[in-house]
Amino acid sequence: MSVTTPAEREELNQLLLQTARSDQKAFAELYRRTSSKLFGVCLRMLRDRAEAEEVLQETYTTVWRRATSFDASKASAITWLVTLSRNKSIDRLRQHREELLDDPVRMDETVDDSPSPAVDAETSQEHQRLESCLDELEPKQQSSVREAFFTGATYNELATRCKVPLGTMKSWIRRSLMQLRACLEQ
Amino acid sequence: MNTPADEGNNNLRYAEYVLGVLDADTRAEVAREVQTSDEAATAVALWQRRLIPLADTIALVEPAPYVWARIRDALQFDQAPRAAASTPPRGLWNNLPLWHWLGLGASALAVALLVIVMRPQTTAPNTPAAPSLAYMASTIQQDNGSTGWTATMDLQHARMVVVPATPVAFEAGRAPELWLIPAGQKPISVGMIALDKPTTIALDPTLLASLGPTAALAVSVEPLGGSPTGQPTGAVIAKGAISAAPDAGGRGKTVALVSIRNKPLPSV
Repeated sequence: MSVTTPAEREELNQLLLQTARSDQKAFAELYRRTSSKLFGVCLRMLRDRAEAEEVLQETYTTVWRRATSFDASKASAITWLVTLSRNKSIDRLRQHREELLDDPVRMDETVDDSPSPAVDAETSQEHQRLESCLDELEPKQQSSVREAFFTGATYNELATRCKVPLGTMKSWIRRSLMQLRACLEQ
Repeated sequence: MNTPADEGNNNLRYAEYVLGVLDADTRAEVAREVQTSDEAATAVALWQRRLIPLADTIALVEPAPYVWARIRDALQFDQAPRAAASTPPRGLWNNLPLWHWLGLGASALAVALLVIVMRPQTTAPNTPAAPSLAYMASTIQQDNGSTGWTATMDLQHARMVVVPATPVAFEAGRAPELWLIPAGQKPISVGMIALDKPTTIALDPTLLASLGPTAALAVSVEPLGGSPTGQPTGAVIAKGAISAAPDAGGRGKTVALVSIRNKPLPSV
């Protein structure tokens, strides 16, 4: 499954709207077409297959129950779905935060490089635009934003991982977010 | 009155929320705001449109088929006619804190007995040929004799709960994978299991058909995503025979459970 063309996005929007009308077939098709994406997101953030499976299950049961709150004028279905899976994963991470911080092995494991950028042709226009704006950031700030996005870490955790004071991390991220907004709005 | 600075700060908070850097309390605050304020919801949606495309680079990973089975099950799809009869066991099977509590020192037999005791008897009049081997249990023991996990299988609802008993240490990047080994055959992967909490696994028809007193369960050390070959690739650290759980009404075959070396049998 890849969600790159406007036509594919529109199909997913329709499937989610049908799901909101309690259409089980549409929901099954939506799962078939989006679950690998969402499972990839959960696995990337949680780094534990059993936990990612649980969060994926929670995500889709929530999709079924809350599909009526999807507003196609605010976001595309895939953005809505990825957001939901990220939110569930982050909630789960926050629950386990103390355990994780106490576990040095796990801590080392979570410090890694940003994901290898996918081949440009395979990602959406929106993504390519965002990448070019990210490229304009200072390298350290850019990698902090990526680390934050892909691991769901808090400011505190990011500061520890990057070995900088909390205040520095906050200003890096905030400045980056403002710069990204300005760049994307050009 | 909102000054431009307030607006900037608020907007940053929404951006931070979408990026995921806020702590649990601040996240909850923003989430509530999104529910109640249209302005907040719009600002958050805008930031989602800006940042979520980053997820395009995340590799697709197909989830195991049992995840969809669990979702259907959790939403009770296609189960309306049986809903009344199956509600009590569902509650029990989904009671993860209970399983967790049981796992801390309960033997497979005790778990199985509890399942039997909690099982509703109401289906009997309509179904005289109720399966007598509705539940099976296994104590999955480590080489040192301590119980690693207990597994209880509910054949009627095609699922298994695997509860960790004794903490088992795993090196980073490795995780336990559960295998079903029918007598004289190759192992079949049941799924990845958790080290620190119960794992509920939906059993597909192949697995279901292979369950029985001649089969065994085993746990091997595998990469996080499971064995890449479909067969165990790491050390087998725990094993257990499968036994029928004694039937509530005295019907059916009662097979002695595998020896529970470090735990006394409960007096029944």
